[in-house]
Amino acid sequence: MTFISNLINGISLGSVYAIIALGYTMVYGIAKMLNFAHGDVIMVGAYISFCATTYLNLPPVVSVLLAMAVCTVLGVVIEGLAYKPLRKASSLAVLITAIGVSYFLQNVALLIWGSAPKTFSSIVPLDSIALFGGKLIITVESIVTVVACILIMILLTLFTKKTRMGKGMRAVSEDKDAAELMGINVNVSISVTFAIGSALAAIAGVLLCSAYPVLVPTTGSMPGIKAFTAAVFGGIGSIPGAMVGGILLGIIEIFSKSYISTALSDAIVFAVLIVVLLVKPTGILGKKIMEKV
Amino acid sequence: MLKVDNINVYYGQIHALKDVSLEVKKGEIVALIGANGAGKSTTLRTISGLLRSKTGSITLFDENVSHVEAYKLVAKGLAHVPEGRHVFLQMTVLENLEMGAYTNSANVKAGIEDVFERFPRLKHRKDQIAGTLSGGEQQMLAMGRALMSKPKLMMLDEPSMGLAPILVQQIFDIIKELHEAGTTILLVEQNAEMALHVADRAYVLESGRIKLSGSGAELAKSDEIKKAYLGG
Repeated sequence: MTFISNLINGISLGSVYAIIALGYTMVYGIAKMLNFAHGDVIMVGAYISFCATTYLNLPPVVSVLLAMAVCTVLGVVIEGLAYKPLRKASSLAVLITAIGVSYFLQNVALLIWGSAPKTFSSIVPLDSIALFGGKLIITVESIVTVVACILIMILLTLFTKKTRMGKGMRAVSEDKDAAELMGINVNVSISVTFAIGSALAAIAGVLLCSAYPVLVPTTGSMPGIKAFTAAVFGGIGSIPGAMVGGILLGIIEIFSKSYISTALSDAIVFAVLIVVLLVKPTGILGKKIMEKV
Repeated sequence: MLKVDNINVYYGQIHALKDVSLEVKKGEIVALIGANGAGKSTTLRTISGLLRSKTGSITLFDENVSHVEAYKLVAKGLAHVPEGRHVFLQMTVLENLEMGAYTNSANVKAGIEDVFERFPRLKHRKDQIAGTLSGGEQQMLAMGRALMSKPKLMMLDEPSMGLAPILVQQIFDIIKELHEAGTTILLVEQNAEMALHVADRAYVLESGRIKLSGSGAELAKSDEIKKAYLGG
């Protein structure tokens, strides 16, 4: 039973990583940049939801929607102010800017909300489900998290495969110049990608803090880095890859914690990443298509 | 229809186009020929707005488009089939064609029918990922995709590059057909013989400068051209 319980916890944590990883991978796919501030958008989302429920007494669902709205705007503003002017700059300049934005967000959060941890109250205030006479306990948070993850995956896949804008975004991510020659506004596509990624980050923030309720200005950075790892692990730029990478990473982390060592779990997670990249440099689902000359 | 007046384009320090001027009139096929690196693709990329000129102006359909973003020119009636085809390799043939009609979504169904009629091979491969097509099929897809926007002016960059002679002939036949159907064409080619044969007029680009211009037949007879581009 411990095994099953660990597996469920792993899938649940992994689903959070997967939702965050989607933001990394979509932005990388379309803008070819690593948005290291993505993790901090998660933190902002969690704080917004926290304030909405605690100070404004709004219902949890409304607080999530509000967090998504704020993060969407934040994501688009970050892209427009910090990254767009660097579209033709070297990728190193963009990377450093992203790290700068990350610290900027953390410090603004510190100014607004202070350094004292806030206790996040779960957005699903329901009792856990006990199965097999109490031997297996499943929290409602983990069910909600996994369901949210599956729903997001389905919606995103439909969006990119079926809608005109989604297909246009795939075209931009594959070949910007050719997409532009089709009449696709590349800048709008990139903004929309940031908007979607940031809205997902808000959801991830709320789910993460519902399971692990300590909220501080650096709450987003470690899950952000892990989700980035998950995106690389699954094959950066690939939406199903982010999903697979995230869930595998969550399972590996929880299993290492319970069977090997809590202190070493992160080291094990990154060791697995290194091994995967040595064996398959493009990640699990990363693909390389040969170009015909 | 298109008037390029005195443009100068730089890649960093490199002066790629020097005082280039050219004109394409409605209903013409105009060829732009020249050696590798002469600036042919740069000229097309500047016309379609992917690159910017430091000087001069580009007038397209009686409107100065020197500072108009590339994506806006498609809806005005310009299609550019880039060098190396640049089809979306990870998208299906159908999706590639849909992208061609991005600014003209009312025309998707009818447009796809037209393209399949012109390029029957694409129809058989409509659900295949473009990356699995042969080079010739990819060229047809790139041309079909450009036709989806119902362009008034079509710019083709090295459509024969890397293709077997029989396919080259086929591509040129299609260019003639498109022209007869009323599309104005600006054609960039290294295959000068074929290009001069179909073209009403042609420009010769050398090291970023227009060296010669004249009717296709005139240039095909010129000794200078024969020596430099036609192998004799």
